[in-house]
Amino acid sequence: MWQNFKNGFIKENPVFALFLGMCSALAISTSLNNAIGMGVCVTLVLLFSNVIISLMRKLIPDEIRIPVYIVVIASLVTIVEMLVHAYAPALYQSLGVFLSLVVVNCIILGRAEAFASKNGVAASAVDGIGMGLGYTFALILISAVREFLATGGIHFANPFNSEQILFGFSIDALKGFTIPLMSGPVGAFLTFACFAALFAMLKERAAQKEKEAQKK
Amino acid sequence: MVVKKMIISVLFLAFVSAVAGAAITFFNDMTAPTIAINAEREEQATLRKMFPDGEFAEIGGYTECEEVLAVYEVKGQGYIVKGTAVGYNSSTPIIVLVGFDQNGVTTGMLPLQQQETSGYGSRCFETDFSVPAYTGKSSAEEVDMLSGATRTSDALRRIMEASFRVMEEVK
Repeated sequence: MWQNFKNGFIKENPVFALFLGMCSALAISTSLNNAIGMGVCVTLVLLFSNVIISLMRKLIPDEIRIPVYIVVIASLVTIVEMLVHAYAPALYQSLGVFLSLVVVNCIILGRAEAFASKNGVAASAVDGIGMGLGYTFALILISAVREFLATGGIHFANPFNSEQILFGFSIDALKGFTIPLMSGPVGAFLTFACFAALFAMLKERAAQKEKEAQKK
Repeated sequence: MVVKKMIISVLFLAFVSAVAGAAITFFNDMTAPTIAINAEREEQATLRKMFPDGEFAEIGGYTECEEVLAVYEVKGQGYIVKGTAVGYNSSTPIIVLVGFDQNGVTTGMLPLQQQETSGYGSRCFETDFSVPAYTGKSSAEEVDMLSGATRTSDALRRIMEASFRVMEEVK
């Protein structure tokens, strides 16, 4: 089970290794705030959808399993969206339409179909949390690089009170040398490509080591 | 056999949807009041940009028209008209607040939403133009237009005409 959880981070990281959920990962990774907010929302939805679908896996008639998954996921997303709207309005505003678009985030449907529909509740819950945190981790990496290069600093504000900054720094020496391009779509693709390459390299190395170990 | 399977599938999906609907209703009832309070607080914060220490109340009693979205009375200080019109950018209408004192003389204009062409229509909202153009005017004819920004100016003129008409009715 620990292996399942760990898989979500590196070997099967949903964004860098499975290339799932890229639309939202590229679009909202402009700031650390958005990345963490979005990551938490996706993790919550993923956890509950995996648990619910795993509970129902023996009841769902095979022909209509996809519509059932969609109903479950869409309801969970709507609920999370309402909660964010009510209790973290600043986050709601900065995530905008991408919060509702979590419905079509392929990580969630993908894990429902590939994992939760075949495994027990506990394993599915762990898989949901692992994949969700893997997604959050990927978003944090991309957004930290993008926010730093685009604004010369990184900030994280309390999502429930946007005026309270929990963590942040900015380097004054970089004023005038920032790259606004990095906050646009081009910056998203550039950063994403570098990270994807890095992860591919790590995977390749691990595979090679395994091969050598087998030869011996 | 096929029919039976179909009926089971339909019933199952209907059941899941019903449960999902119930859950959404429950959370909607739970969050709707907080969302409404947040929206009102935000609206008050926007209005306070025009009258920093004002107390605001939305009022009616005027002939409704498409340019006027809402009228607020600022207790003891004046009025605010929230107006809208389409300028050069047809997909994003201009939305502005126009402040009036108790005699119906303008105290200023504040854009809430505008995506007019940068460097042309957008100049209508830059403070070095908008402050003198929209302060201390007692009729729409006195408000300055901006050459090179005809469509934006025209939209603002329509908003100002409607605002002054509404002010005649409510003040």
